[in-house]
Amino acid sequence: MATESPGTYVPAAHYDRVHGAWRLIMGEEFHYGSFATPHTSLPEATAALTSRMREGAVVEPGDRVLDVGCGTGHQACELAQQLGAQVLGITTSGRGVAAATALAAEREVPGARFEPRDGTDNGLPDGTFDVGWVLESSHLMRDRRALLRETLRVLRPGGRLVLCDIVRKRAIPFSEVRARRGDFATLRAAFGDAHMEPLDQYADILRSLGAAVTTCEDLTAATLPTFAAWRGNVASHREELDSLIGSVAVDQFVAACDILEAFWMDGTLGYGLLAATKTG
Amino acid sequence: MAQDKNTTLAVIEQFLKLVQKEPEALTDDLPLYGEGLGLDSLEAAELSAVLEDKFGSDPFSAGGDLPQTVGDILGFYEAPATA
Repeated sequence: MATESPGTYVPAAHYDRVHGAWRLIMGEEFHYGSFATPHTSLPEATAALTSRMREGAVVEPGDRVLDVGCGTGHQACELAQQLGAQVLGITTSGRGVAAATALAAEREVPGARFEPRDGTDNGLPDGTFDVGWVLESSHLMRDRRALLRETLRVLRPGGRLVLCDIVRKRAIPFSEVRARRGDFATLRAAFGDAHMEPLDQYADILRSLGAAVTTCEDLTAATLPTFAAWRGNVASHREELDSLIGSVAVDQFVAACDILEAFWMDGTLGYGLLAATKTG
Repeated sequence: MAQDKNTTLAVIEQFLKLVQKEPEALTDDLPLYGEGLGLDSLEAAELSAVLEDKFGSDPFSAGGDLPQTVGDILGFYEAPATA
C-alpha cells in the first residue's frame, strides 16, 4: 500500500524507516490479505490476495506487465521471478523507484525495472503491454478514469487489466465528513491522501472505455481480519516500531486500523477486485 | 452575524495556507473544488469547522446548497438569511 503523495519529498533515511515499520506491520507483501478464515495467517492471506490478482491477470512467461503504483517493487519482482514476466513498475515516488530498483538488483531480477511515471498520464506507447497490474494504488490517483484509460491504452487488444483496492460502499454525506473529520484526518495521516470510489464505478468506467469486465468481486468480508492481523503485529513489534517511527505514529496507525475496521463493518468502506480484458 | 468581507477572507486565507492550497489570487468566482482551490471533502469539512469556530455559523452547515465558490462563502456572511 502506497503511503507517499505525489511530489512529496521524503528523505531517504526517513523513507527507509517508515517502510521498515510498515513491513513489520503488514508483512513482506505490503497489502491487505484475503482471509479464508479468521485464523488464516497474514502471510497466507496476502499471498491469497496476490493469487486472486494473478488469476485475473493470467500472466504467461514473457508477458509484458505494467505495475501501476509499484510501491517498493515487491510485486513486480515476484511477477518477474516467479512467472517469468517482463515487468515495468511505475510510481510517482522517486524514492519508490530507487528502493524498487535496489530490490530487483538485490534479488537479481533482471525482468523487473522501474521508472518514475504517473499512472494517470504514463507517457508509454500504445499497445505495448499484455497485463496492467494495479494493486492498492488507485485510491491515491484522484482521476480514476485517467488511470484506467491510460492503463488500457498501453495494453494490446486482448490484454488484461487487474486492480484491487479499498472501495467506498455508500455515499458519505458532507455532514458526516464534517462530524467525523477527526477520524478522516487520522486516516489521511496514516495512509495518505486517499479517495475511495465504489467498485461499480470502476467497472462502469472500464466498460465505457470499451473493456470487457470479467471479474468484479467484493472482498470486504475476506479482507476484514487484516486489521486485527496488523494490530497484532504492532503489539508484537511495538518497541522496534516506536524506535523506527515514534510512538505517536504507531498509535496513529492503530487508531487508523480501528477506524477502517469500523468502516468495513458498518458498510462504509470495503475492498474490491476487478479484472477486465481490452477488446478490439 | 454579518461579517466584514476582509475578516472572512483572512480566515479563509489562513486556512488555505495551513492546507498548502493558497491560490495566486483569492477571487470571488474561484471554485472551492476541482480546478479552483482543489479542496477535497475533508478539507471543506475542516474549513466549515474553522468558519463556525470563528463566526458561530458557517455556510456548509446552514442547510442550504453547499457553497461552490469563495464568493458563496463571503455572500453567506454578508447577507445572512436570518439577519
